[in-house]
Amino acid sequence: MRKRRVAKTIGIVGVPPWETMHKCIARGDVLVDLDEPIPDMPVRNGYLPTNYCSILKRVVSNIFSLREAGRLDGVIACIGEDKCDGMRHIARWLTTTTDIPIVQVRNDNSKGYGTPISESQLPLGVKMELIVGSVFRTSEPPERPRKTKPVCGFWGVPPYDFDILKLFPDRTHIYGWTRCMENKTPGDFDLECYVPEGLPVVFFVQSFCQKSALAFNLAKKHNGLFVEVDRHLSRSARAKIEAFIRFNVKC
Amino acid sequence: MKKIVVDCGTSYTKIHYLESAARRIVPSHKIIKTGSKYDIAAATGHNAFPNAKKVVNELVALAEGALRLITEPDFTILDCGARDVKFVKVKNRKVAAMDWNTECGAFTGQVIDLLQRYFNLDSAKLPTPSQKIPVVCGVLGMTTMFDRISRGTPYPFAFAEFLRGIAHNCEALAGRPDRLYISGGLCLNKAFLNSFSCEVIPLGRFVLTEGLLGIIKT
Repeated sequence: MRKRRVAKTIGIVGVPPWETMHKCIARGDVLVDLDEPIPDMPVRNGYLPTNYCSILKRVVSNIFSLREAGRLDGVIACIGEDKCDGMRHIARWLTTTTDIPIVQVRNDNSKGYGTPISESQLPLGVKMELIVGSVFRTSEPPERPRKTKPVCGFWGVPPYDFDILKLFPDRTHIYGWTRCMENKTPGDFDLECYVPEGLPVVFFVQSFCQKSALAFNLAKKHNGLFVEVDRHLSRSARAKIEAFIRFNVKC
Repeated sequence: MKKIVVDCGTSYTKIHYLESAARRIVPSHKIIKTGSKYDIAAATGHNAFPNAKKVVNELVALAEGALRLITEPDFTILDCGARDVKFVKVKNRKVAAMDWNTECGAFTGQVIDLLQRYFNLDSAKLPTPSQKIPVVCGVLGMTTMFDRISRGTPYPFAFAEFLRGIAHNCEALAGRPDRLYISGGLCLNKAFLNSFSCEVIPLGRFVLTEGLLGIIKT
């Protein structure tokens, strides 16, 4: 008699190739996005240096917490240009020093699926939730996305703390890596660098992220606002965004 | 109940009375508990009263205040507070750039105030040093200054070098303009103003309340 395969729980980091994730889903595995907060599993420090990307700190904490709870059988980790150098180093460390099976992948998909959510009328926070929630499944928007003319732009990765998104007006479009996520082309550097001329854009980065060099110089080029936030929004970062929007955005 | 706008900073609170247009500066720790005695039309600052009808962030208040007080089309204003440094650059009467430094500028104003009292120095009589102490932040800069003193540098001189270091950082933050408008308590510190390499024009301590006045009118 053929032995029935037990479904596995696989953590994903970044945006792995669609086919890789759907092979897992087809055989009944459960996928967990390790970049995102996991209920009842607070981020634990000590695995990585104190001054380090808070998203990757959360990824690693999630891996160890889930593994300890017996709820993680393996990890599919993006380590290429579609994610970041940090994850490549972490994946190497985890592969060589732990028993957690780590599959290292690169997503070089160049077939764009479009960016209707990024350009829609939906509030920025809803857009972000939908894009983040659609890494390995299709998320149903609360209302049909309608293409709008942008009044403001948010450039960057999905932030550690989504509270920052509440500061932005309606018709704020999404640019940068989050837009690449929606397009299913996380390694598309040209798309990541794209912002429309003349649009007031906040270039957001997590502290200690290598993308800050890109954000800093894109902000200079486009007269935008460069904002660096570690975990939660600081008073000065909030004030800068509020002031930038007040003095630059015509709603 | 007196109607006011208020800039409630870390060390001092600047009050503007709306009926009389009188102004008053009081230590913040004294006024924080008495906020409910006032009818606060608008507030800004680290300790902005929660019962204020309108709470405005400091960068917005600074920009609005500067636009009311300065008539030039292009200018840069720097606010040196007790615990941070912020600037707004205006081009063609529009806000073109801004920043708020809470890390490298941490507690610079507070440290200057404390040190000057500790050494019992008159800021108008300090020497003008040719070099500066590299000031990463108020606290680390102070460490270097005391190292200098322990190696034999007279303390008024070491303190003046410390001020030059802070002024150098402020100019770098503001993008090294030829002329810099200064707001905040350090406007009263002559040695600090003399430490800048560019032209400085002190505007006093009520620039942010001026911004609040503009905001409540609109």
